[in-house]
Amino acid sequence: MVKIIREKRSLGWVGALALAGALSATASVGAEKVLKIGQNDALSGPGAVYGLPQQKAVAIAVDQINAAGGIKVGGDNYKLEVILSDDKANPTEATNSVRRLIDRDNVKFLAGFCCSGPTSAVATFIGREDVIMLVGTAAERSITTLGNANLFRTRPPADYTGAAAGVFVAQKGAKSLAVIGSLDAAIYQQYLAAFETEFTKGGGKILAKETFALGDRDMTSQLTKIKGLNPDAIFTLGYVEQVAFVYRQSAELGLKMPRYGFSGGNEAQFMKVATQEQMEGVWDLRPTELTIEALGPTAKAFVAAYEKKFNEYPTPNAPYAYDQIYVLKHALEKAGTVTDTKKVAAAIRELPPVPEAVLKYAPVGGRMFDENGQAYISNGAFQWKKDKWVYIADLPSDSASYSKFLRTLRK
Amino acid sequence: MIVELIQQIFNGLVMGSVYVLVALGLTVIFGILGVAHFAHGSVAMFGGYVTYFLAQKFGLTLFPAMFLAMPVGALLGVLIERLAYRPVRDAPHINAFIIALGLSLLIDKVNLLAFGADQVVIPSPYRRVIEVGGVAMTELRLYILTTAIALVVAMGLVIQKTKIGKAVRAVAQNRPAAILMGVNVEQVSLVVFGLSSALGIAAGALIGALFAVAPGVADGLTIKGFAVLILGGLGSFPGAIIGGLVLGVSESLAAGLISSAYKDVIAFLIMIVVLLFRPEGLMGKRS
Repeated sequence: MVKIIREKRSLGWVGALALAGALSATASVGAEKVLKIGQNDALSGPGAVYGLPQQKAVAIAVDQINAAGGIKVGGDNYKLEVILSDDKANPTEATNSVRRLIDRDNVKFLAGFCCSGPTSAVATFIGREDVIMLVGTAAERSITTLGNANLFRTRPPADYTGAAAGVFVAQKGAKSLAVIGSLDAAIYQQYLAAFETEFTKGGGKILAKETFALGDRDMTSQLTKIKGLNPDAIFTLGYVEQVAFVYRQSAELGLKMPRYGFSGGNEAQFMKVATQEQMEGVWDLRPTELTIEALGPTAKAFVAAYEKKFNEYPTPNAPYAYDQIYVLKHALEKAGTVTDTKKVAAAIRELPPVPEAVLKYAPVGGRMFDENGQAYISNGAFQWKKDKWVYIADLPSDSASYSKFLRTLRK
Repeated sequence: MIVELIQQIFNGLVMGSVYVLVALGLTVIFGILGVAHFAHGSVAMFGGYVTYFLAQKFGLTLFPAMFLAMPVGALLGVLIERLAYRPVRDAPHINAFIIALGLSLLIDKVNLLAFGADQVVIPSPYRRVIEVGGVAMTELRLYILTTAIALVVAMGLVIQKTKIGKAVRAVAQNRPAAILMGVNVEQVSLVVFGLSSALGIAAGALIGALFAVAPGVADGLTIKGFAVLILGGLGSFPGAIIGGLVLGVSESLAAGLISSAYKDVIAFLIMIVVLLFRPEGLMGKRS
């Protein structure tokens, strides 16, 4: 059951609090109880390409759990209900949105969180709140280094993937590289820094780093400059829509060298902007997210459920949010409480990768989340062939040693 | 290097030609009514959305859909003039100024409600790339450039060669004298708004095909439009043309030769420099 609650303008905040209190799990009486989960995501704006699929993935997990009888906690049976809130991929909106979910809707469990900027903003204060925060696609590293004991992330940080990508591009034989990306954003800076370290070790050199701002769609000036430098390959980092414009315009300008990138995004999202010919041969070096070839039956079942409910193919990042909900289910059942968030956090820390998870997690010390609250999956190389992304190779990544490195950064 | 330079100039001219379409509307409106029509960028975006809608609904390609959308835009312009600006025509300038700001918010929100928050790319079949001596020109960009030139020439002919154009020029030069000579000022301002909005719609459609129509694009267009106005000279028709092309090319060169991070700063820098050293603009007359 998914319910969208927008502004309750007609109610004063006292009224809203009272109402929320009356509806909340702790105060309600009866055999069938309702547990509210707050989902904060970018449901509009440039981040919606990641946020809407997360919203849909959560809806599927919630439907499945409710249809199977809900979550059994200490003799009670809880049905899940999602309260959606849109942060428009904006840090200020995200802070307000999460405050509303906590203060007005009395939510104890937060899911979603697709985008790095807004999620980083929320991560700065969430440690002081009596809630559990489950982060999805947002990959900026500091989200799991701020020392929050109540924050867990299903997606590995950007630099974990960037390092593996740097090795791969160097092995492919590129000696010189031009980079174009949304380099004002920390997530892409971190990916690129780790990429550059490994790429340089492999004998490569980055000739130029060109930037575009969030909202830019005309990258022809930067690409013209890159064309003049004539590098062996180009590398593009950014949100799906903008990266799609780079691929379109690079093809229009006649850049013939191999094109690598880091963006995620499914076929339909790219085809809104670019054509098949313009996309041909492009590489996406990202975590091995939703990929039927690599993940097998759980991914297949997820895709089938998603297509049935929403009549579209899920994006690669959608499972990060789906898996969050099953993490929560197992943790609540294990902790035997829906109110004591400390117990729930401890239970999450003890969990092995949950059996329903779509993604193939690489456990650290047998547990899904390491001591930083960070989960890992492998990284992969995907290439656009004809009309779709094809999984080509695994990018070797060492989750245990990365986890140790992350620990050294943690406050 | 030379090839790169020519490529950057070509890219800049294409963008500049779209800026010209936006700025022409702004400058003619300013010349006749003295109104800083801040909602013009939002009107252009509305045009992009309408073009997309027509293209999807009736299976039209870019240019037929755009030419169908232009009369819709003209109608919107006429409505704006009648309902928003005419009631405050004789009031202090600040009233029209505030109405212009409110109008831009209003049209932005209407766009959002009617067409949603997602970006929309107007599909175009013109994907071929023509390469001359290393300079790549896509078919779409060439068509955009020629369409913009054709529209500017058409607008120029209307202003210079027709009776109503003569009336527009008369009102722009000296409003009281034009009234004394029997020029129908109300009709003139309706025509000016209609034509300007139609050009704005064309600009929105071209942007939508080249890049995308989305919330936030309108603000950028309005700012660029006013930068062109200040650069070319307020109310000057040739000034808008030269200003638009100069802005487009300098943005492109700055991004290519200096740094892409400074691309959007150029419009503001140009405004500041012109206001400091030649406040009347490149083609404006010293008063």
